[in-house]
Amino acid sequence: MSDKNNKPSRRQFLQGTGIALSLPWLETFASADKASEETPRRFLSVYHPDGVGLPLRNDPAWKDWSWFPRGGERNFELTKVLDVLEPLRNDITIYSGLSHPAVRQVHGHSNADQYLTGAATGGHGAYQNSISLDQVYANHIGEKTRHASLVMSTNGGVGGPRGAQTQSFNAEGRPIPAMNRPKQIFDMLFVASGEKAAAKLARSKSSLDLLIEHTRSLGRRLSAKDQQTMQEYLDAVRDTEVKLAKAQRWIDTPVPTVDTSNLNLDADPKEARMYFQTMYELIYLSYLSDSTRAVTFQLGRENGEGPHDLLSKAVGLGGAHGLTHAVKRPDGWKNLGTYNRYQAMEFGRFVQKLKDTKEPNGDGTMLDNTFAMHGSASSSFHLSRNYPIISAGGKNIGFDNGRYLKFGSGNEDNQAGAGIDTDAGWRGKLEAEELPLAKLFVTVLQRLGVETDAFAGYSGTLERV
Amino acid sequence: MNTSTVKIRPRLVALIALLAALPVHGQDSSDVLSLQQAREAGRKDSRFLRPDGTAPADPKKIPKANLGDYKKSLYPILQKSCLGCHGPDRTEGRLRVDQLDPNLLTGQHVNQWKEIYNALGNSEMPPADETEYRLADQDRGLLVEWVGAELEKAYHVRKGGQDYSAFRRMTRYEYNYALQDLLGIPFDVVERLPPESMSDDGFLNRSELLQMSAMQFETSREIGLRTLQRVTVHGDPPKPVVYKFAFQGEMTRLTSAANAKVFNVRDDNYKQARNTPHFLNHTSGQAIHYSGGNFKPDPKAIVGEVHSDSPIAISLPPGRELKFNLDRFLPDEGVMRVRIRAARSNMNPQHFANLRLIFSAHTSNNANFSQVISQRDLPVTAPMEAPEYIDFLIPLGDIQRNPFRKLETTFPRRDEFLHIQNISNGNRGPEPLGVLIDHIEVSAPFYASWPPQSHREIFFDSANKGDEIGYAAEVLKVFMARAWRRTVTESEVAKFVELFKEFRSDFETFEETMQEVLATVIASPDFLYLTQTMNGGREGKERISDMEFATRLSFFLWASIPDVELLGAAYQGDLRKPEVLKSQIARMLNDPRANRFAEHFVGQWLGLDGLDSTTHVRDAVLLAAMQQEPVAFFKEVLVGNESVMDFIHSDYVVVNERLAGHYRVGEVYGPHFRRVSVAETVNRGGMLTQAGMLAMNSDGTDSHPLKRGIWMLERVLHDPPPPPPPNVPEVDLTDPRILQMTLKERIEDHRNKPACKSCHSKIDPWGIAFENYDALGAFRTQLKNGPVDANAELFNKQPLHGMTGLKRYLLLERQDQFARAIVEKMTTYAIGRSLSFSDNADINKIVVQFRRQEDRLGDLIQIIAQSEIFNSR
Repeated sequence: MSDKNNKPSRRQFLQGTGIALSLPWLETFASADKASEETPRRFLSVYHPDGVGLPLRNDPAWKDWSWFPRGGERNFELTKVLDVLEPLRNDITIYSGLSHPAVRQVHGHSNADQYLTGAATGGHGAYQNSISLDQVYANHIGEKTRHASLVMSTNGGVGGPRGAQTQSFNAEGRPIPAMNRPKQIFDMLFVASGEKAAAKLARSKSSLDLLIEHTRSLGRRLSAKDQQTMQEYLDAVRDTEVKLAKAQRWIDTPVPTVDTSNLNLDADPKEARMYFQTMYELIYLSYLSDSTRAVTFQLGRENGEGPHDLLSKAVGLGGAHGLTHAVKRPDGWKNLGTYNRYQAMEFGRFVQKLKDTKEPNGDGTMLDNTFAMHGSASSSFHLSRNYPIISAGGKNIGFDNGRYLKFGSGNEDNQAGAGIDTDAGWRGKLEAEELPLAKLFVTVLQRLGVETDAFAGYSGTLERV
Repeated sequence: MNTSTVKIRPRLVALIALLAALPVHGQDSSDVLSLQQAREAGRKDSRFLRPDGTAPADPKKIPKANLGDYKKSLYPILQKSCLGCHGPDRTEGRLRVDQLDPNLLTGQHVNQWKEIYNALGNSEMPPADETEYRLADQDRGLLVEWVGAELEKAYHVRKGGQDYSAFRRMTRYEYNYALQDLLGIPFDVVERLPPESMSDDGFLNRSELLQMSAMQFETSREIGLRTLQRVTVHGDPPKPVVYKFAFQGEMTRLTSAANAKVFNVRDDNYKQARNTPHFLNHTSGQAIHYSGGNFKPDPKAIVGEVHSDSPIAISLPPGRELKFNLDRFLPDEGVMRVRIRAARSNMNPQHFANLRLIFSAHTSNNANFSQVISQRDLPVTAPMEAPEYIDFLIPLGDIQRNPFRKLETTFPRRDEFLHIQNISNGNRGPEPLGVLIDHIEVSAPFYASWPPQSHREIFFDSANKGDEIGYAAEVLKVFMARAWRRTVTESEVAKFVELFKEFRSDFETFEETMQEVLATVIASPDFLYLTQTMNGGREGKERISDMEFATRLSFFLWASIPDVELLGAAYQGDLRKPEVLKSQIARMLNDPRANRFAEHFVGQWLGLDGLDSTTHVRDAVLLAAMQQEPVAFFKEVLVGNESVMDFIHSDYVVVNERLAGHYRVGEVYGPHFRRVSVAETVNRGGMLTQAGMLAMNSDGTDSHPLKRGIWMLERVLHDPPPPPPPNVPEVDLTDPRILQMTLKERIEDHRNKPACKSCHSKIDPWGIAFENYDALGAFRTQLKNGPVDANAELFNKQPLHGMTGLKRYLLLERQDQFARAIVEKMTTYAIGRSLSFSDNADINKIVVQFRRQEDRLGDLIQIIAQSEIFNSR
């Protein structure tokens, strides 16, 4: 299937020739994903800036506070950083040796922009991004839910180029503003929208009706062949009407009522624990009510500072970004590890909740139909390589969890770039071979039901996943 | 190797005898023709110019199936190797080879033949373990060649056998220009529209490929509304933010500082000091370094207030910039005008100086961006005594802004920077060329008038302005006629007035309501499509109306809607009168909008988008020059109404300074393109030797004869080779045998494979003749391991000795083919549809007339505009 897919020249030869296409592989596509079409498949990406702790092997902190697990694919051992996920070990997969090739030598501060896009966003000068993973999925599935996607971050908005405060980018590579206030998110999800939206829809409807009527009268003066072309225009207008009708239906459909007992809508990042839990609860409720199936959530921004850098106060520590600079101070690795451990714990709490909830519209638990990932675009200090990534769930769509998957070569012990706290790291030459993270994204998209064989210019899936 | 001479074939000897009377310049051998002589001789040979005036035989016959070879030599092979499993006894894969119709052009089994072609080309069939059915290499080659040739013919027959309609929607770029011309906005508006698909011969405006989807429609509708909202206004004029740079104050502040390093233009070391940007007092000669700083809005400043003369200026040396911190006060939307008064420090004609604007922000360490915001560099031409204003207009809503500019806290940083750069070649020679700036004013939103011209075009003055509904009808009638390029009926207007009445209560103002109604007008197919109605109600080929003709003509030459004058001529019924048409076309070609024709036609004809994806041209200035040269050359030939044979070879090039350096042509200064005569020894002239063509048909490190050969066949001769069979074996660069070969030997080695040979022998020789040009298009005679070998032999045994040999051959033997090729390419672009066999007669007529008029490019446009095909539905 993918083999023939790589030959546009052959297909171009046939395109528009009048020679009918016989493409047996298309049928393969169609039949592959029949099962459980009704059950929603969900995607979540949680992003944390600043990477993780990666002490050198000869550092006393290595034993407890190096982020990556030890051991083999199934018999891996978690260090203290991730041991909070031990109860979920059969529901998660941990990855090493993955990164986006285009930015492996870009400073980590500029890097949150491309974690879900794989674009060559670079370190200076003109800036261009590309579509993010969640938006590819949202474009595919968004019609089915009230909201195509839910984009959240602690800081909100879009941030600046190379200082993203959103993980989501549209098809033109433009950032999609993230929401950060729980109240605002809750209102969007669960409070009815106002009259303005309805009036705008009504105007669109009248415009389209007029265009359809007008086009019909124009069509009568066209040749039979040109009428077919005009029909295409009419179909496009009608499809737009259908879309509007759908939007109208959502306006008319009562918003779902949800259990708000675990929500504190006034939560502020300054009260990190409450804020984290409220944001995760909102994701949970949006899934439970099937309000959306594609969610991103960014914690803080690269190169922190400001109030949103204080999420680490949840574990009694100072600015999160500062932790990465202070690893060589007493307890430095431990402090960074403790904060990463806390992030993993909150993610784990959310995963557990999905696992404890029966799928409302299908088999198994909600977790079985959700692919949730948690990661960063740097491993150690400003180093844009070997992204630390955890994924959870997705059993019903083909993910085999309970594994530690090492990719690439030359860095089996995750020591490349370890132990650094200077910019020599990110400027340094590439010591190990890593695989493009985009290949994992292709796997994820295919399992979510998107027919694609490439992401960010990389084709093919990631083996063993 | 001498590439400029070639032995000619015996059959031309007679012709040379005819030419003996002509003087032979610069040739030491009487059996060699100069390129000019070849051009004259080749013209005499044209089938389109027979002295008795008979029409030539149709050079593009409808292909016929080759059934003779099939019966004689191919079916027996199939019988031996395939029928065992795909015959009467067994029918593996539901395929019976004995029952296939061998006529691919009309038969039912093209798809099966395609599968067979793939299976044979991939050596998947017969299966390797079926030894009794083994297929000899030679037989496989025969089969692949026959099936490939028949598939190619089938493609042409089935494609050419269809009838195509020119009824189509605008392309993405046409929609952009149409909105610009209709609404009077100079900026690009279509960024969000998806790109078009390209036809297999490189064109973007083919009716059959211009589909309409809900996404396309919705996006166009939103763009239309947003653009209308930008060009019309309501309420009072917004108060602009105005920055006016205080030259006197800033200089005084700097020079009066404690450790001020003040210098003087009369100092001996000024020769060094002047290479850094500095303040300069013309009167006193006092100077101090300055490369920018804070620049705050002045609440009292008035936009465009006339500058009072002062002796203070900033001197900006070549290649340097001034960087101003504008803080966070620029508005989100609207046009920013940057007005700079500037002069040149000397008038050395070899030097130029252009200004360019950059916008940037540095929001935190390692989170920054910068971008060029000026649409093009603007030249500084005024002498010191009489500096001139240079205005840049920048749409603030379209550029990358600092997203933190509205924060209440100071981190991340909220400020935005404006850089003024001097792009210049003026740092050579004894006296560098500096730009002297004595006035900088930044204002936004900027309106040249209020309400702006674009607003008054739509909401014109009328006695009916008090009567909203009456005035809405008036506005609509004018706007609709212009947007739809036709007269509109009262009932059509009435429908839109109804819409206005319905929408009115949703908005506070008349204008906002009308924006929505007008957006519906331009979402209609009358705007989005190049319509062609049936006047007489008959099907089939028929003359289009005068108004439709005006639209077709303007999309041909302006890639956009007609202007009022052209529509007026069509409305009067005069447009197609020969003298009116001639003068209208001349007017249109003189208009700046005709640049779009040169840019888009040449870009699509020659496939210049290929340059966008090359990565080996690292010098951005050279790359830009490579992209511009083919267009500039085309314009030169067009404006001078010269022969298109100049595209094959010309004794001039059209270059700018950067490209002249690349070609080693001297005495060319500045970034603009101009015609320069060149000697034969420069090895340039025509389009085959343009650096852009050569660079984009390279592989990143070296020339690529195969790409160049294919480009030559597809773009120049319009004789595209068939596509390669599937899974063509890559040249194995790990094989030590292959590594030792020269490039030419590698190609020959590859060509000797049975599945490849038939096509490559028709492609490669063309490309090998280009071998004297490297991956950047620079001329070379030596390679690392020996001299360049650019000698090739075409499949018809015609030897080609390098570029000159290739050009000579084209001029002698292929003029008709090239003339027909450019006629077909331009006609298909002009009407926006593919050509079919039934167009052959029309095309032939155009070619005959074109050749009779000495292949003149300007004339070709007139001939096409008057042709049957251009005037028919």
